[in-house]
Amino acid sequence: MGNPRSESNKGDQVKFQEELKDNIRKALPELDVVIGWCGSFDPLHATPHFMRREEDIDKLEISPLSVHNLATYLPGLRGKKVGIVVKGCDSRSVVELLQENLINREDITIFGFPCTGVVDQSKIKKALGGHTGNIEFCDMSESVIVIKSEDKAYTLPMAEMLADKCSSCRYPDAVISDYFAGEKIGNKGEEDADYAAVETFENLSVPERFGYWLKEFDRCIRCYACRNACPLCVCRDHCAAESRDPHWLSQENNVRDKLMFQVIHAYHLAGRCTECGECQRACPVDIPVLMFKQKMNKEIRDTFQYEAGVDPEATPPLLSFKMKEENITEKVW
Amino acid sequence: MSWLEELARENKVFAPRYEGDAVIFAPFDPKQEISIKHAATMPPKKTVFPQSEKLVDFTYSKDPENLSRILIEAKEILPKGTTVVFGSRPCDVRGFTMFDRVYLAEKTTDVYYKARRENTSFITLACEKPETTCFCHWVDSSPSDASGSDVLATPIEDGYVLEPFSEKGQKLLTSSLLENGERWILEVKDVHENAAGFLANAPDLSQAPQKLLDVFDNMEFWENAAAKCLSCGACTYLCPSCYCFNITDETTGMKGTRFRSWDNCMSAQFTMEASGHNPRPTKAHRLKNRVGHKFSYYPAIHDGVISCCGCGRCIKSCPVGIDIREIVQEAINHEPAIGKE
Amino acid sequence: MPVLTGKELRIVGFLCNWCSYGGADTAGIGRFNQPTDLRIIKVPCSGRIDPLFVVKALMNGADGVLVSGCHPRDCHYAEGNFYARRRLEIMHNFLPIIGYEPERFEYTWVSASEGQRWQQVVTSFTEQIHKLGPAPKILGPEASDTLSLMQAAL
Repeated sequence: MGNPRSESNKGDQVKFQEELKDNIRKALPELDVVIGWCGSFDPLHATPHFMRREEDIDKLEISPLSVHNLATYLPGLRGKKVGIVVKGCDSRSVVELLQENLINREDITIFGFPCTGVVDQSKIKKALGGHTGNIEFCDMSESVIVIKSEDKAYTLPMAEMLADKCSSCRYPDAVISDYFAGEKIGNKGEEDADYAAVETFENLSVPERFGYWLKEFDRCIRCYACRNACPLCVCRDHCAAESRDPHWLSQENNVRDKLMFQVIHAYHLAGRCTECGECQRACPVDIPVLMFKQKMNKEIRDTFQYEAGVDPEATPPLLSFKMKEENITEKVW
Repeated sequence: MSWLEELARENKVFAPRYEGDAVIFAPFDPKQEISIKHAATMPPKKTVFPQSEKLVDFTYSKDPENLSRILIEAKEILPKGTTVVFGSRPCDVRGFTMFDRVYLAEKTTDVYYKARRENTSFITLACEKPETTCFCHWVDSSPSDASGSDVLATPIEDGYVLEPFSEKGQKLLTSSLLENGERWILEVKDVHENAAGFLANAPDLSQAPQKLLDVFDNMEFWENAAAKCLSCGACTYLCPSCYCFNITDETTGMKGTRFRSWDNCMSAQFTMEASGHNPRPTKAHRLKNRVGHKFSYYPAIHDGVISCCGCGRCIKSCPVGIDIREIVQEAINHEPAIGKE
Repeated sequence: MPVLTGKELRIVGFLCNWCSYGGADTAGIGRFNQPTDLRIIKVPCSGRIDPLFVVKALMNGADGVLVSGCHPRDCHYAEGNFYARRRLEIMHNFLPIIGYEPERFEYTWVSASEGQRWQQVVTSFTEQIHKLGPAPKILGPEASDTLSLMQAAL
């Protein structure tokens, strides 16, 4: 796929940041809060930034470090007038929330910008030999990341450090927005999503697949960061994972319960997940949990030709039915 | 390395190694490389305080003399065996000293914790260089703090110098594979001082307990601090000094087990009461409790000891980058609005 | 079941109360012979079935799961089986990512009068499961409990 990002240059990036800040300045007086990103505890991390007063807007910074999907805060802020800065993938989560009436359109102000991708921290960590605890300096441009860590300098090609979802991104522009700063890159919704990773995995044998998950989930600590980072997990106090009745999961530190939780999570997101990848990013012990949801989305696409988070008026496929299903054939005994 | 194999003959040995992209303390396997260059992703908390542990096995049966009565047979399950943990860091193990004050109190002793704590030895590695998220020196610790450990291993040019800090530690060092290390004592001191030298000046946290109480009723302060919190449990479960637990009975049919498992005060249901009332209903309340507990309430009950070891894992592993150092400093520097009572 | 240990595999069946359970009953009245591996759980409607029941059953020791309901358009509650059809189709296709063969789970439609069809379904499905053999099982709380045995078998 041709990469339109290599055509834009850093000058444009800076320009849209100013335009974005102006848009927020315009809208802020009517809003309780606008959520964006700003710098964090070291040069290699950003953090969600809640802007309430005008001086907060100056700290706003959009960069390849703006990995967090801010849509996850919206259901909790229902009733308030909230502005949110969104990457293309984030906007799909907002659309999904709108589809399910979990937020009110008139209470949300959406600020879009042309997203050229965000980095995958674990890839950077690997490139730096497994340690990102002493980052002294970091500069990111369209094509290259320069990092200085423990008196060593690293120059990393941006294309290799991008999150997997960004390399095959079909929605770099917000699919829905009230303000859009900068030039749109152009969405490619009609192209097929890429599920090669899922297909490769399924070519392994049964013991290899089952064994892989047992090994990965052994270190799961059931912190539920994956669940809480997900914009669509809104059950909060009533999550099935913590329910005593029905008793889906035990409190035992058992790999069966950990694997079962991921299957529950993936299934409860069927037809709703927009593959923002926050679940995998949030995991403190780097378990590759996204694959379950990718598989689920692949099946939803193959069976129902449906993609979540694109049309606010659509109904998720598992919440409806057809008398005659095109892609479901009855088992012949 | 072969000293660890020797120790593994009589003890269960844990050492940090890569599992996927994370470094965790796993049962020592001489065929797999250990990873001790940097602090592990997860502290060795589970070796003394397991993620879940069986407390009691119980079986129900009908009383043959009186069929309407149900008899319960309960069997306590106490941990057995000795464990040696290699490759922990001073901050990791200092956390257990906070556990000890609570779990090994004279009035009520946690027998399960006691059995594991007394039978686990820690060979802790002194740090050569802190990370940007390290702040052990803020909380009365240091890169070479041996409190809670049995042996302190300091890296020098071609190996490690091992110093015992307890009786258990002394016993561990009576191996024929180890040689006398007294001639390197000065080098050891250098490494310790060098590491401490990298740390910038620590702010004065003596005001923290009172200042945190001063903002207790200021929900706006806590709502701002907790705005980006996801209310998960990553910080709590990765913290070497967090010790809360939950007790559940898991039954199938006529038998079951009573488990103790990790609980986290950041989750929504932590203080949910049977009536349905929840005294900490929002994440602002819960963050206030976590920070308050570590830097205010615990010190107030336990001779001013701060229940945080400065390892920085909560900062590194928080999915949204909440920095507890920032919150504590904001509380210390917080000036109440003029004219407010 | 000590007599049959080693010869039977554990197959769990979720049957809807109206059509399929009736169909199984009809098969019983007609004395149609079937393998006895299948153990039935009655539910009011196939639409009540949370697809996660299938995974929970497999993870807790089942070798196969069969779901049966009324034929589409004949649901006693009008629409339950339409939803079930969609949900269970997705679950059937989802199983491979976990490491289960999708053939371990089938869903079908059997009406109350179809005793012979029920016999055919149960016989075929049991054969299908026996061909696959026992499902991957989780043998203990730590991955190593299961993995060490899996390595030995490979």
